[in-house]
Amino acid sequence: MIRISAPDTAEMGEIVEVKAMIQHPMETGYRRDAKGDVIPRNIIKQFRCAYGGNTVFEATFFPGIAANPFLAFCLRATRTGPIEFSWTDQHGETWSETRQLTVS
Amino acid sequence: MRAVAPMSLVALLGGCEPQHDARLASDVSIVGDAVPASLTGAPGDAERGRAIFVSREEGHCVLCHQVEGLDAEFQGNVGPALTGVGGRLSAGQIRYRIIDAQRIWPDTVMPAYYRTHGLRQVEHGYEGAPALSAGQIEDLVAFLEAQAS
Amino acid sequence: MKWALLIGALCLAGCNKPESTYARNSDVKAGDIKSGYAFLQDDTKALQDDDFANPGFLWVDRGKRLFETAETGASTCSTCHGAHGMPLKGVAAHYPKVDAKTGKLLNLEAAINLCREQHQGLEPLAYESDDLLGMTAYVASLSRGEPVSVDITGPAAKYYEEGRDYFFRRKGQFNLACSQCHNEHWGEKLRGDTISQGHGNAFPAYRLEWQDFGSLHRRLRDCDTGIRAEPQDYGSETYMAVELYLAKRAEGLAMESPGVRR
Repeated sequence: MIRISAPDTAEMGEIVEVKAMIQHPMETGYRRDAKGDVIPRNIIKQFRCAYGGNTVFEATFFPGIAANPFLAFCLRATRTGPIEFSWTDQHGETWSETRQLTVS
Repeated sequence: MRAVAPMSLVALLGGCEPQHDARLASDVSIVGDAVPASLTGAPGDAERGRAIFVSREEGHCVLCHQVEGLDAEFQGNVGPALTGVGGRLSAGQIRYRIIDAQRIWPDTVMPAYYRTHGLRQVEHGYEGAPALSAGQIEDLVAFLEAQAS
Repeated sequence: MKWALLIGALCLAGCNKPESTYARNSDVKAGDIKSGYAFLQDDTKALQDDDFANPGFLWVDRGKRLFETAETGASTCSTCHGAHGMPLKGVAAHYPKVDAKTGKLLNLEAAINLCREQHQGLEPLAYESDDLLGMTAYVASLSRGEPVSVDITGPAAKYYEEGRDYFFRRKGQFNLACSQCHNEHWGEKLRGDTISQGHGNAFPAYRLEWQDFGSLHRRLRDCDTGIRAEPQDYGSETYMAVELYLAKRAEGLAMESPGVRR
C-alpha cells in the first residue's frame, strides 16, 4: 500500500508540501526470531521523487529507518505535470505512483 | 503468668510456620517472614546480582523497583524503592520476598520467582522451572543486602 | 495472656491462607476512566492525530478499497452497506455482539467473515491477515469518536461473565491477573512506560513495538505472554469474551481506531 498527499493544483511559484508513505516492514537484519535465528534484512534502499522529469527529492534508506517509512518534503510548483514517487528495495523490486499537479 | 505470654507466642509462631512451601522449586526452610539459609548453600555474588537486577533477560527488577545510583535509565515504581533495603531487611527477609512474595502478601503484583507448582496456564517453555534460579536469587540477595542506607 | 492470644490470632491469620485463583475485586472509578491515549507521549499522540502520518491508515485505505471492490462472483460490501442502506457508520462501537441466529458472540472480525460467507458466498479472511485487518480498520474507523457501548444482557451475559472471569483470574508463571495492573496499578511506571487501564477502544491499532498494525487479539496475546501465560488462539471465544468485558468496562470512551500505541 502506498499513500500520497499532494495538491491537485497550485499557483506558479507556490511552495507545496508533499507527503508519501509506503507499507514496508523495513526489517533491519539485526532482530532474532523466537528460535534465535536472525531475521534477514529486508529494506527499501532508495526513494526518488521526480517532478516534470527532474529529480526534486532523493533519499537512501538504511536499517535505522522505521517500518512503513513516511516522508514529507516541499517542492516549488513551476509547471503542470506529473509528480512521480518511486521506491526501490534491496532486491531491486520497485513501486511507484504518480500524481498530476496543475499549475496556474 | 509472666512466662505464659512469651511461651504462648513462641508456641503459636512455631505451630504457624509454613516450614515447607510445596509451591517452590526446591525444599526451603521458612522462619517467620524470612528464609535464613542460602538456596545454594553458598553466598551469592553481589556484582552478578547487580547485573541480574538490571538485565532485561534476567531478573529485570528495575522494571518495577528503583535503586538510587544504579546505572539503568527509567527505573519503575510499581514496587517499593529498594535504595538502602539492606539496612531495613535482613538477607533472609530479602530472600523470602524474592522467592514467594505472594505468600506474604496475597494481593501483591510481585511474582513468586522461585515458584513452580500450582500455577495456571503457564507459557510453554516456562513450565516446571522457576523464573529465577537458586543461583540468580542468591546473587540478587547479595546485591540487595549490600544496599545499606 | 491477652498479648499471646492477640499475636497468635494475627499469626494464624497470616499463615496457610488458602490461595485464591482470582485477584481481589477492583475497578477503575467511573470518573477516572481514561483511554490509553492519555498515557502516550506527546509525539505518539501527534502520530495518532495526523490522518496522514498515522500508519494505521495504510490499512484503512486497504480496507476501503476491498469494501468497494467486487471479488469474483460476489457483490461488493458497499452494495449492501452503502449510502442507501445499512451504512456502517457508528456500528463498530457496539461490538462485540451476539449473533441472533447462532447465539455466538461476534467481534468485528467474526462479523465481517460471517457476512462474507453468508451474504457474499466468499471464504473467510484469515485472522491477522492484511486484508482482514484492513477491513476491520476501515469499518472501525467509521466509528471514530463514537462512544463505546455494548449490550451485556440476555445471551451476551454469559460471555461477559466469561470475560470478567479471565480478567480477574491469576495465571502464568508470574501468577498475575489483568485486573491487578490495569485496575490497581495504572498510572505507575514499568521502566519508562506508564501502565494504562487496558482499554480496547483504539484497536485495531498500529503498535510501535510491532512496527505493524494488529487486532485486539494480537495485543491480548502479548498481554498473556508478558506474564508468561500461554496465549489463547486468534479468534478464540475466550478472547472475544474478554473483548466484550473490556468494551463494557470502557463504556463511554470514544472509539479511536485506527489508534497508535506503544
